[in-house]
Amino acid sequence: MRQIISIFLFLICFYANAQQYLAKDGTITFFSKAPVEDISAINNKVSAVYNANTNELVFSLKITDFIFPKSLMQTHFNENYLESDIYPKSTFVGKVTENKNGKAKVKGELTIHGVTNEIITEGKLQIINDNVIISSEFVVKLKDYKIKIPRIVMYNIAEEIEVKVNIEFKKQ
Amino acid sequence: MNKIIVILIMCQSLFTKAQDNLLSMLGSEDKPIYISSTFKGKKVVNGQSVEVLSKGVLQFQIQHRFGTLNSGFYNLFGLDNSQIRLGFDYGIKDWMSVGIGRSSELKTIDASAKIRLKRQSKGSKEFPFTIATNSAIFIKQYRWSETNEEAFEMSNQLSFSHQLLIARKINRDLSVQLSPTLVHYNLVNYAEKNDRISLGFGARQKLTNRISVNAEYFMQINGKINNDVLSFGFDIETGGHVFQLHLSNSPAMIESSFIHETKGDWEQGDIYFGFNISRVFTIKENK
Repeated sequence: MRQIISIFLFLICFYANAQQYLAKDGTITFFSKAPVEDISAINNKVSAVYNANTNELVFSLKITDFIFPKSLMQTHFNENYLESDIYPKSTFVGKVTENKNGKAKVKGELTIHGVTNEIITEGKLQIINDNVIISSEFVVKLKDYKIKIPRIVMYNIAEEIEVKVNIEFKKQ
Repeated sequence: MNKIIVILIMCQSLFTKAQDNLLSMLGSEDKPIYISSTFKGKKVVNGQSVEVLSKGVLQFQIQHRFGTLNSGFYNLFGLDNSQIRLGFDYGIKDWMSVGIGRSSELKTIDASAKIRLKRQSKGSKEFPFTIATNSAIFIKQYRWSETNEEAFEMSNQLSFSHQLLIARKINRDLSVQLSPTLVHYNLVNYAEKNDRISLGFGARQKLTNRISVNAEYFMQINGKINNDVLSFGFDIETGGHVFQLHLSNSPAMIESSFIHETKGDWEQGDIYFGFNISRVFTIKENK
């Protein structure tokens, strides 16, 4: 009996560990509509882990991996706004709190520019064979993350930025 | 029973460990981090910095230098006299840019190429300096009367400069640069040297994210006839524009002139005020 229980527990343990999904090349884009110039950037190197047992979801990206259409914007983004030399990474640590027919709710802590805020957002979570695909859209306010826009800047940067997440996980 | 508990604890610890490591699992990548933005502009003040324009970026510069501050109210402290240089620079690769320009002084046309050889980096691959080279050719367009002289040849109007630029971003605000320079003049006066060597020193200190103070000094090593040039600059960045305000004892904007042909003396008050406005245009967008 003991042996059976121990094997059973061992299996649970094994099973639990096996339910982890990993992504190395997820996509996060952002977009901001501004009167002079629209600002957009794409990061194709987002790494993420999803644990199907605990519903935990984390992702992490390097600020310098955001590619802008205009090189100077990218320089300013890193140098002046996100200060990527001091805060090289942005992370999300959270949980999928609800998942009905692929429609999911996610709650967690988003860290940008060294500032952590709690966010709740909705999105899609699909499990197809050995892959998990998540996608979501949410709005980030620059003020919440202490990203300052000086008066002399001519871009007229919007206060709110639309963020799109698209990550395909593979079973580990 | 003990065994079960042990296994249970083991499993539990393994399981929680996996949870805690969820985020740290992602941070294991080890790549070199390249240091960017050692200087704000392609120039420290007058001399070239290690910065190269990104691929597909065109920069247009309008440079103005006024007369000396000690020329009195009659000349409105130099504002009555002005020289201008118009320049275009273009980034062919992320590590290579070319430029052309024209200065009103002696109607000089210049063409240059800058190549970045090595980038300062930290992380898995460390290198302490950013290294670049800059080469330029200058064509002084002499007047008709001079060019009509018998011994005159087209090549007499040419001079060249070759620079090795070695810079280090010490911290996010302070950067320093060393620029060994060779200037060659095809035509010089009697007892003057054709090849002249100098050593340039440059530095920039950021005051805020968008404003910096720059300083630059070129020490002439051989064939010194004129004064060494000492310049100070003030860079203000506003999105796509950079405004630069300068004080220098040379009104020239090209290497062959300001390094070896500086007549002005700071102590005498021969200080020239000037400004640059540069604007970048993205010709080819990144994909």
